[in-house]
Amino acid sequence: MSLGYILTIATFASIYSILVLGLNIVTGYAKQISLGHAAFAAIGAYAQALLTVRAGMSFWAALPLTVLISACVGALLGLPSLRVSHDHLVLTTIGINFIVIGVAEYFDFFGGAMGIIGLKIPTFFGRPLGTTGYFVLVLFFVLLALAVSHYFSKTWARLAMEGLGEDELAASSLGVNVARFKIIAFALSSAYTGLAGALWAHYVGSVFPKNFPFELSVLFLSMLIFGGMGTIRGAVFGAILLYILPEIFRFIENYRMLVYGILLTIMVTLQPQGVLGVDGVADRMVAKVDVLVRRIRSAAKP
Amino acid sequence: MRVFRWVWVVLLAISLLGISQQTVKIGFLAPLTGFAAADGFSALNGALLAVEYINQHGGINGIPLELVYYDDACAPDQAAALTRRLIEKDKIVILVSGSYSSPTRAMAVICQEVGIPLIAAYAVHPGIAATGEYCWQNGLAAIIQGKAGAYLAVEKLGARRIALLVMNNDYGISLAESFKATLPTLEQRLGIKTEIVYEKRYPLGETEFREYLAAIKTANPDLLYAPAYYNEAANLARQFRETGLQCWLLGDEGWDSPKFLELAGEAAEGVIIVTDLDRDSERPLVRYFLQAYAQKTGIPADMVGASAFDAVMVAAHALRMVGTDPKAIIDYLSKVENFEDAVTGPILCYQDRRAVRPIEVQVVQNGMFRHFHTLYEPEVIYFYPKG
Amino acid sequence: MVQLIANAVVLGCVYALMAVGLNMVYGLQKILHVAHASVYTLGAYVGLLLSLTLTNNLWACLAAAMFASSVFGLFISKLVYQPLLDKPRYISLIASVGVFVAATELFRLVAGPYPYAFSARFAFPAVKTSFVGLTSIQTLVLCFTGAAFFFLYTLVTKTRLGLAWRACIQDMDMAGALGINVNRIVALNFLIGSALAGAAGVLVARYYNRIFPTMGAVVSYKAFVVIVLGGLGSMPGAILAALVLALVESVLGAIPRFEFPRDAIAFLVMTLTLIFRPKGLFGR
Repeated sequence: MSLGYILTIATFASIYSILVLGLNIVTGYAKQISLGHAAFAAIGAYAQALLTVRAGMSFWAALPLTVLISACVGALLGLPSLRVSHDHLVLTTIGINFIVIGVAEYFDFFGGAMGIIGLKIPTFFGRPLGTTGYFVLVLFFVLLALAVSHYFSKTWARLAMEGLGEDELAASSLGVNVARFKIIAFALSSAYTGLAGALWAHYVGSVFPKNFPFELSVLFLSMLIFGGMGTIRGAVFGAILLYILPEIFRFIENYRMLVYGILLTIMVTLQPQGVLGVDGVADRMVAKVDVLVRRIRSAAKP
Repeated sequence: MRVFRWVWVVLLAISLLGISQQTVKIGFLAPLTGFAAADGFSALNGALLAVEYINQHGGINGIPLELVYYDDACAPDQAAALTRRLIEKDKIVILVSGSYSSPTRAMAVICQEVGIPLIAAYAVHPGIAATGEYCWQNGLAAIIQGKAGAYLAVEKLGARRIALLVMNNDYGISLAESFKATLPTLEQRLGIKTEIVYEKRYPLGETEFREYLAAIKTANPDLLYAPAYYNEAANLARQFRETGLQCWLLGDEGWDSPKFLELAGEAAEGVIIVTDLDRDSERPLVRYFLQAYAQKTGIPADMVGASAFDAVMVAAHALRMVGTDPKAIIDYLSKVENFEDAVTGPILCYQDRRAVRPIEVQVVQNGMFRHFHTLYEPEVIYFYPKG
Repeated sequence: MVQLIANAVVLGCVYALMAVGLNMVYGLQKILHVAHASVYTLGAYVGLLLSLTLTNNLWACLAAAMFASSVFGLFISKLVYQPLLDKPRYISLIASVGVFVAATELFRLVAGPYPYAFSARFAFPAVKTSFVGLTSIQTLVLCFTGAAFFFLYTLVTKTRLGLAWRACIQDMDMAGALGINVNRIVALNFLIGSALAGAAGVLVARYYNRIFPTMGAVVSYKAFVVIVLGGLGSMPGAILAALVLALVESVLGAIPRFEFPRDAIAFLVMTLTLIFRPKGLFGR
């Protein structure tokens, strides 16, 4: 059996789901496109590495702190979004990615290019979590992230943010504090992403600046758009599918990234709202089945 | 119904073939896509060549050796998942890493946990061997390369004023740190003074070195030590000549690729590198490797290919001697002495699971890497005094 | 010091060449055209192919690269961007990323993962005086960039086509209503922008003597810094921004103890500029 392999893939896919759920808050709800989320993951991973390896804290004690740090730094890095909008913001977030990695790479406090090694799989009541245990732990965090996302999407904060995404002027005239909500969106999103980064770092066992390149940010945004922006199911589905797809294509090893690129282009061209997005292919299929069922019912009626 | 009968026969034949075709499996991971794809390709071809060679020479005591390889894209999460896959699904007995430090370290964690020996072909991060008793580094260790560089620069080339231009990744930094740490020892022994007149780190993938080189020219060093990979090194060498610098240009095994010669062109002339592959060696294995590799891939061999070849050779040797038991393999490796079947020089022994070998110094002459010097000095090539 | 500035100016020209085509595409259609980087890489590989087979003349390589790149650019525009015109622009961005990934892989599969040297021959004067020296490829990059921008500037300001182009930039729907063939302008825009990308690919490859599958990665993001700094869609702004950027990078790089990656510096400059001047350094 290759249980460990499947669990490892599942663990990473779950971690990516948490991350893309976080991206969904800032990009899907608040409509602030971010191409710098690898940097936010790096912040979480580095915070966790510094707290556990350098400061000697346990996984459990460090994790809440990491999430807090990520949220604060996220809020700080979200500040430019108050001045800069649309495409300029996209480019600013790319910039954040490069600058954060540059800082990690050139300041010895963050381990520099040698990275920080020695993160360990956490223990639970004295027993180290194995592959299965860690997967369960990550799954717990996925559920937590889903719950928070769900709550968030149901409360008025989301309405305010979506209003702000559609039309800032209108939103602010309706009494929405645009600045405050943008910052909250960035902070919350960064908290998710930081959590994902920390979980990733513990599973891999080390962090290097090169682990969080700009290409990764592009992958995250692709996952969200592929799945369906602004929906929870879309974010999770996109993350899992795009993470697993290259693994599935292992049998065409040499061509798998080519197929991946072509598929990505074709899929977003044919299905711009995302596979599971609002009015996406899945929605329409459900609607069609619904109509069919109704028709059958009405036909069955005498 | 007749069709079904044929299907049964074919299936039976395949399964019988499967039983008779029992192999010993070595796992192999390398970056075959992405920015490191060129090194991954070299590593894979080196490893495959080693498997061919071993199977031509009797396999593992009569059983053929098989290389199961995947692309890790130089990403540690993929490396982690694939390591599990290789161990659980493909039932490998040894894992060889043809990848960079970050993914290799991710492999090391799992190999240590599961108890499968890992042999890193050329990854240099000191944290890999330090992970535990199952993790081995077969490449030329960074600490030794840096030490040898300093030794060569000060003692053989007589440099006193030294400039450092360092590629900022774990490889470049480890080499530069070791280089600098060696200088005081050399000063004491030779009764001289050395000075680092310039030092700068630059990012991987850099193409523009002119502003650094201008500053170096002003600093007027005797020697420029520049740990880098061949892509960076080629532009560095070209712009080094263009700037009109007259000092020594000292590189490392990252420069050791025919692609460096091709990309740098005439600017490569006179460059000296610290490496472990001697292309002028008369040893039959080296001659075989250089010829077969060029034939297989269409381009001459580089350090990465040679290192992967050797890592597989070491793995196969251990398998021949003690079988597939992981504990027996690592016990055996720790006792290895003078292992000659390696193209990057004989492996004298392992110290803390890191290979010890004589160091080859090559110089570029007429567009070729030629033998310049070999360092056998124990204080240079050993991590700590023998015994 | 003079030498430092001269080198920085050449580096600035390299950036400007990478960015110019992108600036045209962005200026007109507001697409973050990441796949521009593959157009650029394709140009370099076509130039390489020609130099390895038919002729080792750099001018011929340039011409072939410009032709192939413009075809490829047009192809992307028609096949990928055209169907997405009425969709949110981040969709085109992701489609563009998909093209970029696929094209990069295609280059690797066809040409192999290793870098190639590219030493097509050409005759061009070098500058060698006591205080500054430029190699012949440096002067070529300098002159070609100057010529390309002069050509574009004349095209945009002095011709009817340029007038139509500017009208489209102002408001594409309005321009269409006024009888301008918008589709033709878009196609032409892609054609010229991609041809320049192909030329940039060949020239930069010749300058650094290296062609490899992922060579477009830098272009895919750095060129954006240039066009943002210069003010989106502004031609003189882009070249000025490229020069400023190269100068800042080079001067900071020359400071002995200062260590920070070039690309991060570029983005730092860009982010700070955007915060204080949201329209870019030279934008109005």
